[in-house]
Order: sequence, then C-alpha cells, then structure tokens
Amino acid sequence: MRRARIALRRGSVFGAGVFGLLLLSFSAGSAQAYPQFQFSSGTQRCAQCHYSPAGFGLLTAWGRDEAADTISAKGGDGGFLHGLVTLPSALALGGDIRYAAIENAVGGTRSPEFATFPMQAELYARAALGETGFSLYVAGGIRGITRDVNGSFASHLTSVISREHYAMWKPSASGPYARVGRFYAPYGLRLAEHVYFVRRYSGFNLYEETYNASGGYLAENWEVHVTAFTPPPKSFPDSLQSVGMRASGGAAYGELRFASTALLGVQSRVAINSEQRLIQGGVVGKLWLDAAKVLAMGELDLQRRDVTLAAKTGYNQSITYLGLNFFPVKGLMAAVVYERFQEDLRVISTARSAFDIEVSVFPYAHMEVMLFGRYQYSGSGAADGDTGSLGMLQLHYYL
Amino acid sequence: MTGNHDRGSRRRPLLVLSIAAGLAAGAGCGGQDDTRPATWNYISTAIIQPGCATANCHSLIAQRSGVRLDQVSTGWDSLVTRNFVIPGDPAASSLMSLLQGEGTRRMPPDYPLASDDIDLISRWIMGGANK
Repeated sequence: MRRARIALRRGSVFGAGVFGLLLLSFSAGSAQAYPQFQFSSGTQRCAQCHYSPAGFGLLTAWGRDEAADTISAKGGDGGFLHGLVTLPSALALGGDIRYAAIENAVGGTRSPEFATFPMQAELYARAALGETGFSLYVAGGIRGITRDVNGSFASHLTSVISREHYAMWKPSASGPYARVGRFYAPYGLRLAEHVYFVRRYSGFNLYEETYNASGGYLAENWEVHVTAFTPPPKSFPDSLQSVGMRASGGAAYGELRFASTALLGVQSRVAINSEQRLIQGGVVGKLWLDAAKVLAMGELDLQRRDVTLAAKTGYNQSITYLGLNFFPVKGLMAAVVYERFQEDLRVISTARSAFDIEVSVFPYAHMEVMLFGRYQYSGSGAADGDTGSLGMLQLHYYL
Repeated sequence: MTGNHDRGSRRRPLLVLSIAAGLAAGAGCGGQDDTRPATWNYISTAIIQPGCATANCHSLIAQRSGVRLDQVSTGWDSLVTRNFVIPGDPAASSLMSLLQGEGTRRMPPDYPLASDDIDLISRWIMGGANK
C-alpha cells in the first residue's frame, strides 16, 4: 500500500468541507479523463486507473494512489474522502466538483463576456456483485450551464442528469469484458475538456452519451473495443436524455502499444438518424519521450456526412488534434495544442483552427487548478472572419 | 542493443514531426471557391447543428429562448416560423444580427462563424429561406 497517511486529519476536514459545498452546487458538466497520464505516469492502460475499461469516471484504488503519489506535488491520501472512510471492498464511491471562470471574446458589440459557473459536480458509485466479475455503475449530478438565465446562481443549475449508468462484466484486469448502459463509446483520445474539437465535432460533445452494448478485450500491449449505440428514447426524462445528433450506429476502437512509450490507435464509427448519416474513421497516436518528460498526442478524423432527406447533400470533414504535454516537475502538467476542424473540405475558409495552452497544477491529492487559453480563427485568419479567444480558470476537487 | 536503442531514440522526434506534418497537411486541404449549396439541409447539418445545438444551448434538453436547432426540421421551424429569419430579407432577419453580434450577444457565443458561413446563410435567406 503506497498511500500516504500523513495528511489524513487535515485532508479529512477539508474533504468534509468540500463535500458540503458539493451538496450545494451539483452540476454535471465536464468529463473526467486524463489521457495525458497514459505512459507519462508509468501506466499503460486507461483501465488501470479507471473502472471503465476505456477510461473516464471513477478511479480504481490504483488510480487513486497514482493521483496522490505520482501526480500530485505534495502527495497526500488519494482515497475516498482522503481516507476518512473505509468502504467495503465491493463498493467504490467518488465525485468530482469543478468551478470555472471564463473570459470569452468572439467579436461583436457585447464581447468579451465574463462568467463564473459551476462546471461539474457529480457523484459516482460502483458496486461489485461478489466475485462474479459483474458490477453496477452510476454517475449523477445536476446539469449546470455557463450562461445563466436571470443572473442568479440558481439559474446556472437546471435538471438532474445521469451521464453514465451501466452494468459490466469484467472478470479480471485484462481479458474480455462486456458492458451495457449509458456511456461514451470508446473512441479517440477521450480528452477531459469537451471544447476540444476532436470531442465537439465527432459526436462526443457534452451530454452526447448514448445507450450502448459494448465489449472488448484488454491485453498488456493492445486493446480493442466495439460498441453498438442508440440514443435514449424521446419518452425518457431530461435526466436520461442525450443531445447532439442522437443517432444509432456502431463504433470500434483498437490500440497497439509499443515498449510502454507509444501507441497507435485506429477507429471507425457510423452514426445514422432520420435525417443524416455520419461515417467516421481516424487514427490516434501517442509517444512518450522520457528523457524530455514530454508526451506527444495526436488524432486525425475524417468524416463523411450525408443528408438523407429528400433534398440530398453530402460533404467531407476533418478534425485534427496535435498536442505536446510537458511534465517538468511533479505536480505540473502543461500542454500546447493545435487543433483544426474543417467544416467542409471543399472550402478552406470554413476551417476552424485553434492554438491552446493548458496548464494543470496538482498541489495535493484530490486537487487541481487548471488554466486554459485558446486563440481561434477561421480559414487563413482575420480575412476569413473574426478571431476569438477563451481564457478559463478551473478549480477541481475530487472526493 | 544499446546502439539500436540510441538510434531508436534519435528517430523518435523525427517520427513525431512526420506524424504531425502528416496530420496537419491532411487536415488543411480545401479550395477557395465556395461551391456549397445555399440550402437549409446543408446549413443546418454543417453549420447550425454543430455550432448551436450544443448541450446547454439549443439542444433537445435545453432549448434556450424556446429555440431548438438539433434537427433539420425543428431548426427550420424555430427560425422561420418564429421570425428569426425573414425570407428574402437578410437585413431584417434577426438571425443575421445574432451571427454578427450587432447590438446583441454574438451567436454562437463561443466562437465566431467564418465569414463565408455567414454569407452562405445570408444567401439562403435571400433565396427564400426554403426548407
């Protein structure tokens, strides 16, 4: 057991205080996955740190230890509520709370805008059913919004929402698994921030989780995930609904890892609704340069979108992500990213490009301060439209 | 063995740069002439849905200001039957003011549309804003 117990008492008091704040300001906003930690933290597979076989959501005991001992500058106890409560081995609980402040400039007479808002507050529970390999998982919070309706804090909070709930059979850390329920189909880099183009424009934007039947195989140096998905029926309440294209289809993702320092992933997805068909394919790559403490990450997706209504039309799109993540000292992660979304490959001025800087500081276990900056433009620059910028400060605490 | 490892290490930055160049080049193609159709089917799926029908804006579950833009059919109904679009008259259509941020918060609020996208929507309105 590598968990440090030194900060237990101080952390427990802090944890209880934050738990109280959490109850006051639930909102389910951002996801919680850090693909930057694959290889850079010494772990090979997302499922080592997350119960989900492809990452996202509740941390395993190993993941909690890694978050405290390997990732946080001053360490601490990464356990639930800083170790204040010892849960039965079959039960895992957790939660995330994020509060954000943004300054957003897009041109026009009322720009820039400044907003503070509850970005995420969710609780997670996972129960294992004996030694059968079966488990149940549920995440829930209250849906928060960036731009309030009437200026009050309460108007940032709308309905209850459960973005993930599923039953899973996963008898061991490696080998086959099957999962049924609501979650994102494994696809792409699976970044935490939904503003990244590879999430926003590929069917994985905020609240676009679908209902899935998924399965796959996790091996030491490779893994594969195959998913059939469908949107929630319209009769479902808002708390179980998803947004976006609301399509049915299938997705496949496979990755091959090399020498614990690199991976190559390939992926494909087909999504169909009553109005359009989206066919996607892409590649994902990561390379860890240990001497420089740099992780290079990239994703390229090509998409064919066809409108299938009476007046048919079709066009091709591309989405690119190129990022360099630096880990100069323990507790600090900094990234520079170039992104591009080509809305229609026939017209270069419809390209949307962004340069991002993301800096995360992890001072103690359970805590993160994140700064994000973006400069974006259309086509080749100001000649093709107004430029935009986004600055964000995010405070993150997990139970 | 050590020599091979060293050579591999030296090649890695080149590999990263090669992949990066390939990704950037592959994503950067396209021409200058706007040959896209000024039709609602195209505008809805290529521009409006990805930009406006996001989680807490004009999606199924949010429908801010009573506007839902996540489908071709409901999007047209929201904009045209509620007079955000005045067929044949872009200058009188409040949608154009919103997209350009004239006297109001710009839409979408998180990025400015490309000039060619705004022009395409203007041409669709000028052509009658047909469904």
